[in-house]
Amino acid sequence: MSVQPVTISNLRAGYGGDDIVNDVSFDVRPGEVFTIIGPNGSGKSTLIKVLAGIVPARKGTISLFDKDVTAMKAAQRIAAGMAYVPQEFNVFRNMTIAENLRLSTEFIGLRGRRGLAERDRVLAMFPDIAGRQSILAGNLSGGQRQMLAFACALISGPEVLLLDEPSAGLSPRLVGEIFQKVRAVNAAGTTVVMVEQNVAQALPISDRVLVLVNGAIRHQSTAEEIRARDDLHELFLGEA
Amino acid sequence: MAQLILNGVVTGLIVALPAIALSLTFAILKFPNFAIGAMLTFAAYIAWALNTLAGVPLVAAAALTLVLFPAVTLICDSGVFRPLRNRGPITLMVASMGLSFVLENVCRLVFGNDARNFDIPLSRPLRYAGLRINYEQIVAAGVAVAALILVYLILLRSPLGRAMRAVADNPDLAAARGIDDGRVIKATWILAGVLIAASSVLVGMDRAIDPQMGWNYIIVCFAAAVVGGMGSPAGAVVGALGMGIIGELATLVVDPNYRAGVAFLAIALVLLIRPHGLFGRREIKK
Repeated sequence: MSVQPVTISNLRAGYGGDDIVNDVSFDVRPGEVFTIIGPNGSGKSTLIKVLAGIVPARKGTISLFDKDVTAMKAAQRIAAGMAYVPQEFNVFRNMTIAENLRLSTEFIGLRGRRGLAERDRVLAMFPDIAGRQSILAGNLSGGQRQMLAFACALISGPEVLLLDEPSAGLSPRLVGEIFQKVRAVNAAGTTVVMVEQNVAQALPISDRVLVLVNGAIRHQSTAEEIRARDDLHELFLGEA
Repeated sequence: MAQLILNGVVTGLIVALPAIALSLTFAILKFPNFAIGAMLTFAAYIAWALNTLAGVPLVAAAALTLVLFPAVTLICDSGVFRPLRNRGPITLMVASMGLSFVLENVCRLVFGNDARNFDIPLSRPLRYAGLRINYEQIVAAGVAVAALILVYLILLRSPLGRAMRAVADNPDLAAARGIDDGRVIKATWILAGVLIAASSVLVGMDRAIDPQMGWNYIIVCFAAAVVGGMGSPAGAVVGALGMGIIGELATLVVDPNYRAGVAFLAIALVLLIRPHGLFGRREIKK
């Protein structure tokens, strides 16, 4: 049996006195696009922030290729092979594209020539931003900012990429482009864990789907199974 | 008038250093550090003790203070601010007020209430193009400008500066990029400590050192940082220079005792037009 890229066991997390994620367990298989869907306030973003090490877990364990990373900070999880693209505010808008990329290499041990080589490798995947490195990230379009955020995350060469609503705030045409890029990254061998609200466009690129409602798992199956269900709307809202 | 502008520029440059320290700690730690005045007093006493009690020449005493005082800011952080880090800006601000009283009274307890002076020889002011400038003013301006250039290079040209700007802008994203915010916070306190220490020596060369000296600078520092835009080091420099020059020019029309009032009036006008200060940004909340 192959080692699972991500294994979550009895995870509990939240803010203040409230638990937002309640006793969640699942695993992500090698090379798949694993999508977490659910209504607003279901705890999707909190869950992915816990996976990334931004929000601490209160209970339970997170394993990355069988290595327990629950107590690791976000920076250590990057070294362990995980990268995270936050929702919307995912680039430093007062910094240039070049500064954003440089910042993504110099604190994970990729300085000097190695850092430059990794930057060039990643920029080759994103021609839209490659030739515009002196432009402030805040002056880019929403789609270009998302591409830059992807590039910054991929620079560490992650084995698992965590995406928090990559389609948020983008036009339908750009959403298509972004999901194509997610598929391309996945096809190159990176396992993708994605939180997404745009179910219609996310399901076709997903392998398996988890439905989260009120911080708990409501349903888990292949994307095909979910697409075939007539009660997807009720399921999504937690009524099925 | 040129003489007043010159005096205002020198005063502004000296105030710019703690104003940047205040702005940096606000940008990264998200609270206004009301202990900045007492920290300045404490650093001045370290330099004074080295200079007059230990007999170390002032330049060497100043250099030692630049090394020693950041250790004090780090101790203040680990003892007071770090345990309260997640309690919100109001709690941290109140804690900084408490720290201010502690630091001030440690100085009072150890060195007494008497005014103290550095051991520096008196010198005649230089005259150039009708302007009169003291030796202390030249040193203060030179050191302050050098410190500002250093801060500029650190913030805009070094990995540490990029990390500081990243944490100030978006701490979660900075963590996602592999930046350890604990290290950035330590570096911020060290840099703030160096700036406060440098400023304390420059202030001590210009006036007497006493336990209350920080109170004369805390309001000006805050005013400079607020008018420049809290969290913007460049704004703090512009704000400090503006405060210094307006304060001096005000003496042309009002009694010198009221010059601070005129400067505050100017601040009120700036904030009416730009509520976030000259270089401040409106917070974007998700």
